[in-house]
Amino acid sequence: MFIQVLLSGIALGSIYGLVALGFAVVFKATDVFNFAQGMFVAFGAYFAVTTINLLGLPFPLAVAAIIAASAALGVVIHIVLIQPLSGRPMLSVIMLTIALSIVMRAVIEILYGVQSRTLSTPMPTGIFLVGDVRISQLHLVAAGVSWLCMAAFGAFFKFTSIGLLMRATADGHEAALVSGVNVKVMNRLAWAIGAGLAAIGGLFLGQLQIVSPELEHIGLLALPAVVIGGMQSIPGAIIGGLLVGLIEQLSATYISPKSSDILVYVLLLAILMVRPWGLFGQRELGRV
Amino acid sequence: MTATVLRSGALRAAAPSPWRWLWLALAAAVLLYLPILLTERQIFGFRLSNMMLLNIGLSQVNLMLITMLGALSLNYLTGSAGLISIGHAAFYAVGAMTAAITGSQWGWPFPLVLIAAGLGGALAGLLAGLPSLRVRGLYFVLSTFAVHYLVVFAFMEYQFKFFDVVGVPYKNATLGSWTLSTPMRWYFFLLPLVIFIYWLLRNSLRTREGRAMQAMRDHELAATANGIDVRFLRLKAFAFSSAIAAMGGALYAYYLSNVTSEFFGIQFAIQFIAMIIIGGMGSLPGAVVGAAVWLLLPSIITGLTAQAGDTTGLLRSVLVDHKPQLVQAIFGMLVIVLLIFAPWGIAGMATRLKARLTAWWSRS
Repeated sequence: MFIQVLLSGIALGSIYGLVALGFAVVFKATDVFNFAQGMFVAFGAYFAVTTINLLGLPFPLAVAAIIAASAALGVVIHIVLIQPLSGRPMLSVIMLTIALSIVMRAVIEILYGVQSRTLSTPMPTGIFLVGDVRISQLHLVAAGVSWLCMAAFGAFFKFTSIGLLMRATADGHEAALVSGVNVKVMNRLAWAIGAGLAAIGGLFLGQLQIVSPELEHIGLLALPAVVIGGMQSIPGAIIGGLLVGLIEQLSATYISPKSSDILVYVLLLAILMVRPWGLFGQRELGRV
Repeated sequence: MTATVLRSGALRAAAPSPWRWLWLALAAAVLLYLPILLTERQIFGFRLSNMMLLNIGLSQVNLMLITMLGALSLNYLTGSAGLISIGHAAFYAVGAMTAAITGSQWGWPFPLVLIAAGLGGALAGLLAGLPSLRVRGLYFVLSTFAVHYLVVFAFMEYQFKFFDVVGVPYKNATLGSWTLSTPMRWYFFLLPLVIFIYWLLRNSLRTREGRAMQAMRDHELAATANGIDVRFLRLKAFAFSSAIAAMGGALYAYYLSNVTSEFFGIQFAIQFIAMIIIGGMGSLPGAVVGAAVWLLLPSIITGLTAQAGDTTGLLRSVLVDHKPQLVQAIFGMLVIVLLIFAPWGIAGMATRLKARLTAWWSRS
């Protein structure tokens, strides 16, 4: 039983890690704490419902469409909303993303209604039986794909030239500008990645649970994940996501279903009081 | 020589212009006549339609007054003390919970319940402000986010332990032998209370401590270098604003006479921030304007969409079937537009307009 909970925690945590990775990429590149990331996850799930169930596209095409649509949404949001607010105080940008999530949620509820929908994909939903441990195939696929994506992006950032340019831009904005890097394109790419990863997470979460505007709150759990792991650290975001998934599953099983989210926020508070820069982050130096 | 120049200048500034008294008298007349206007919906015998009154009833005005307490306290915290708190609705929940414990369970009289709620809020604010001793800026915002979820969870647990799923009930609010049973009575109780709190907050900013708070907001290190104990001041600001918000929460609970934990979700907290951004951060009139917009917007939209009875398709879905979502969408877009183009809010725009008009007047 414990192993089962552990495994489902790791699977869910992998999805959270994916969303948190998208979040961390956006934060590192543009310094924006994107409270609307939860809604990007929900949008991904609703894109999935539209392309797979409503339009009936073949699965690979649908997945490509979902990722493309979310990436486009991320880029549009950066151009229309984030770029005009560059250089403004942090609260303005945070409030902008919160207001964005309000508008996005209203749009979803107007277009699709408030009730939840089920997402049926061709992904396997059976169960493996290993000893007396039941492993859900969907969990396996979700975890596998998430780890694949995270590894792919790790490789992208480390080995390709665009990835190097993105890292350089994230490390020093002005230096990158002076070196001739097109920072605008880098920022838009970061937002496209952030939104795209959230959409993949939404696809899996929509299949694992149910597609409703409440997915926003589940997607928002990526925020504590990023803070716990360390906001400026990519591996930290992934590990934070795993931790959040594990805590959620363990507390839902062993304590009570209601308390699953709360313990995550308790851990968030504890980390903020004891080690605010997260498990893998770096201490920020204050300058006068 | 310089002393007499200074003194005459000071004297000139101190005497309020006769215009000010006229404005005050006009405002008082409007505020006192408003409940009668809204209840009877006619003015000097001339019957007013719903649309003319912007679809507002007295109960909505009362809700606006209660929400104004939250907006004022949040604006005080964010704009004047420089602390950003996303989870402000949590203090409403604390107030409601304290009111439930002292009022519904222990049976204290209403005025004492309000005071108890204020004290409970102050304590909660103190605790919620503790992370500010450790972290600043974005991390502190996140800690208020976490605190909000924790408080709402506590309220939910309390509700399920002592009451049931339907909600936490509240008795009638009575001041001595006078029961607040009609919206009119609530209005005449809330209006002086809100005016008093507004006056209290505005004057507290003019004291020595208030100036220290504004210094802390503007440049913390410089304020510390000047000998201001920033940590203590921050906790005090938090406790003060949370006490007011908790009183607002207790009033909210008594007004609705039954609340559940869903009432205090993160959506409610976000509404407060949207209100102060629309109104204008850091200005107390901005909080008033923001709460008024929050009240007026749904009514105006409901009134306008009532005219669109025959539309079909997407437009019908947007205008008729999903009115609450439409209101939310417009509210959010208003915040976004204001943030991009006018971050000083509606009150800020009014101040700038007034300055421009005064400059133009004095030049011509």
